[in-house]
Amino acid sequence: MAGKSGRTISATPQGGIKEKIFSWEGALILLLIAVNIFGAVLSPNYNMTNILRESPRYLAEIFMLFGMAFILVLGDIDISVGSIVCLTATMGCLVSNKGMGVGAVILVCLGVGLLCGMLNGFVATKFTELPTMIITLGTQIIFRGIAEVALGDGGSASMTDIQSIGILRAKVGPVPLSFFIVIICAIIFITVLNKTTFGRKLYAIGSNRTTAYYTGIEVQRIRFFSFSMLGFLAGLCGLFLLASTYGANTTTGNGFEMEVIAMCVFGGIATTGGKGNIIGGFIAAFIIVCLRIAFGQINMNTQLILVIIGVMLIVSVLIPAVTNAINSRKKTKKA
Amino acid sequence: MGEDLILELKGITKIFPGVKALDNVQFQLRRGEVHALMGENGAGKSTFIKTITGVHQPEEGHIYFNGKEVSFKGTKDAQELGIAAVYQHPTSYPELTVTENIFIGHEIMKGGIIQWNEMNKEAEKLLGRLHANFKVTDEVGALTIAQQQMVEIAKALSTNAQVILLDEPTAALTANESQELYRIVDELHEEGVSIIFISHRMEDMYRLAQRVTVFRDSQYIGTYDVDGITEPELIKYMVGREITDMYPKPEVEIGEELFRLDNLSKMGFFKDVSLNVHAGEIVGLTGLVGAGRTETMEAVCGITKADSGKIILEGKELNIRRPKDAMKAGIILLPEDRQKQGLIMNWGLGTNVILPIQDELANNGFINNKKEWEIGKQYLEDVDTKAVTIFDPATSLSGGNQQKVVVAKALVQKNMKLVIMDEPTKGVDVGAKAEIYAIMGDLAKQGYGIILVSSEMAEVLGMSDRIYVMCKGRVTGCLDVEDASQEKILELAMEQSGKEVE
Repeated sequence: MAGKSGRTISATPQGGIKEKIFSWEGALILLLIAVNIFGAVLSPNYNMTNILRESPRYLAEIFMLFGMAFILVLGDIDISVGSIVCLTATMGCLVSNKGMGVGAVILVCLGVGLLCGMLNGFVATKFTELPTMIITLGTQIIFRGIAEVALGDGGSASMTDIQSIGILRAKVGPVPLSFFIVIICAIIFITVLNKTTFGRKLYAIGSNRTTAYYTGIEVQRIRFFSFSMLGFLAGLCGLFLLASTYGANTTTGNGFEMEVIAMCVFGGIATTGGKGNIIGGFIAAFIIVCLRIAFGQINMNTQLILVIIGVMLIVSVLIPAVTNAINSRKKTKKA
Repeated sequence: MGEDLILELKGITKIFPGVKALDNVQFQLRRGEVHALMGENGAGKSTFIKTITGVHQPEEGHIYFNGKEVSFKGTKDAQELGIAAVYQHPTSYPELTVTENIFIGHEIMKGGIIQWNEMNKEAEKLLGRLHANFKVTDEVGALTIAQQQMVEIAKALSTNAQVILLDEPTAALTANESQELYRIVDELHEEGVSIIFISHRMEDMYRLAQRVTVFRDSQYIGTYDVDGITEPELIKYMVGREITDMYPKPEVEIGEELFRLDNLSKMGFFKDVSLNVHAGEIVGLTGLVGAGRTETMEAVCGITKADSGKIILEGKELNIRRPKDAMKAGIILLPEDRQKQGLIMNWGLGTNVILPIQDELANNGFINNKKEWEIGKQYLEDVDTKAVTIFDPATSLSGGNQQKVVVAKALVQKNMKLVIMDEPTKGVDVGAKAEIYAIMGDLAKQGYGIILVSSEMAEVLGMSDRIYVMCKGRVTGCLDVEDASQEKILELAMEQSGKEVE
C-alpha cells in the first residue's frame, strides 16, 4: 500500500481497574449499598425476606428496563409502554374471566404486547421523519383508549378465578419467579448489548444513524425489532402485574414509561442515543425499588417518594456534566 | 519600518492542553493587500485566525494594529477595531432574513426600537456593492452556500471592517461561484480593504493574493511574494518534503468491462444515466454542484432507490434495494461527507474501520476484540493514518486523516470490486491529498474499478482515464483524458441549460 512512513499505531487498550471502580456503575453500586443501609436504619422491617415479599410488583416494571435501554441507545424513545401494560393486563383479565386457562392468558398478554410494540415499530420505521416521542405519545393514548373501552363503564376488571394464573406467583424458597426472569433478562440483554455485533449496531445507529445506514447496517429492521421487543416485555410486565394484583383498571401501568426511562437515565443511558450501559440501569432500578420498599415500610406518602426519585434523577444527570466541566477547567489551567 | 502595516503579530505562542498550537509565529499584513495563509490541516492556521479575531488569547506574543499594540480579550475587541471573519461554513442564522443576519448584534436602533426600513436600505446598499442576486428579505437558509458567504461578507462590511479574514471561502463553492467570489475579493481589494484568506487551492492563491505566508507544524515557515514562488516550492514549504508527482497515475492495463449503468433514472434527480467502468480504470464523474452526480451514485449504492434502469456488475444485473445489497455485491461507496456519513466521530478509529465487516470477524455474533484490533491496526497503518492508537476518537484527527480512515473502512471489505469515491479530497490538505491519490492509483493497479466523483477539475484531469460530465441530471458527455480539458468539461457541464429533468 502507498504512503508508508513506517508509522505504527498502538492496538493495546489503555485504562485498567481504576477506571472501573471510579465509573458511574461503581458509584451506583456504592449508592445501592448506602440505600440498603439507610433502609435498615429507617425501618426495623427492612430485611431480605420482606424485600423479596414486596418486590414482585416492582420487579415486573424492571422487565421493560431492558427493552427501553435498547430503544434509548438507538436514540429513540417509547412512552407508550405504560399503556401497553394496561392493555395487556386488561385483555389478560378479560380472557381469564371468559374461563380460559393460564396458557391462553399468557399467550394473550404477550401477544398483545408484541403487537403493540410492532405497531410502534412499524410507524417509526415507515415514517422515519416523525419523532418517536410523538408516535408513541399517539399510541400511548390509543392503547389506553382501547383498554378503557374494553374495561367498560366500571373502568376496572377483577379476575374471578385468581387461582388459574397462580403459577406466575410461584416462588423458589422466598424468591419470586419474576426475580429469576429479571436476572435471566439482565444476563441476556447485557451480554447482547456489550458483547455482540448486534449490540454495537445499536450503538452505531444511536451515535450516527446516517453513517450506520451508509455502512450497511439495517437501521430500520433493527429499530422495528427493538420496538417489538419492548412491546413484548411490556406484555410480560402486564402479565405479572395481573398475577400480583388480580385485575386491571384504567390507571394500571400509569407512569410506568417515565419510571422506566428514569431508571435508564439514572443508570447512565443518554436519551440522545449511543451512550450508556444496561448494567447501570439495572443497578439504578434496584436502587429505586429498595428506596420505594424502605419508604413504603415507614408509610411515607407515595407522592413524596416520587419527589425524591425526581431529585435523584436530576442530580444523576447533573453529576457527569459538573465533573466534565471541572475536568476541562483543570486541563486548561494546567496548560 | 518602511512598510505600512495594518496588522502585525510577533512571537505568538498558543498552547492547548498537551499541544502547542502556535509556536512563536509571526505575520505581517500590509494595508490593502490580499494575503494568503497556507499550510496543511493542523498547521495552526485556524488557531491563528482565532487569535486575530479574539476567540483565543495567546500565551505569549504581541499584536499590533495600525502600529499600536493591542490585546483582545474577546471577539468584541477585535470587531471594534474593524477585524471581521467569514468562515467556511457560514455561522448565520438560517431562519432569519438577510437583513437580520447582516445586522445581528449591531442593529440600527432609535430609542430602543429597531429601524427595519433603515436596516433594509443599508443591507440593500451592501448587497448592491457585492452585486448580489438575492433580496434582503430572503431567508438565509434558502440561499446557496455561496450566497450565504456573501451575506457574511456584507455583515463584515456593515461593521466597517478594515481587515477581513476568509477561512476556506471556496471550499464549498462550484467553479462558477468561485469566480464570483474572486470578483468580490478583487473589488474589496480595490476599495482598500485588507484581506487574509486561507485556502487549500493553489488556484485561489495565484488568482487573488499578492503575498503568501506558510505555516507548518504550528510554526512560521516564511512569507513569499506570490509572483516569485512556484507551486512545487510552495508545496515543499507546506508539507516539509517534496511531492514530485501530485497525481501518481500508474500505467494500468485496462481490463474488461466491470460495471455498467443502463438508463438509470430517478424522478427529479437524474435521467437516463448510462456509463461504464472497466477493471483497473479510474472514471471521473464531474459536473456542477447539483448536477445529480452524488444522487446517481447513491442510487447505485442503495442509499436511495432508482425508479428505472439497470445496474450491471460483471455482466450480472443487480437488484440493489439497500446499502447492504451493494456492499455484498462489491460496490463500495466513500461518501461525500465523512463526518456525517462516513465515520462515527466519537468512536475509536479501529472500530470505525472494521464496522462494515464486524459480523464476519465475530464468533457467532460475539465481538472478537483481538481480531478487530489486529485488522483495524493493519488497515490504519496501510493508509498511513497519523494516529497514536486505534482507540483515538475520529474527532482527534485532521480532515485528511479522517478521510484516510474512511478509505481504510472501504479497503477492509475484501469482496470490493468497484469503489465510488465521492469528493475524496474535499477539505483535505495537500500532503494527505497526494497520499489518497496514491492509494487510488494502487487500487487501479490491483484491478479495481474506480469512479471518482469530484468538482475539482485538476484532480479529475489528473487521475481519470475517462471523464463523464453530468448536467442537470443527465450525462452530457464522455471524454478520454487525452482529449479532455477544463474548457471542454465546463462546456459539457453547462450544456443544455434550458433542459430540466422531468
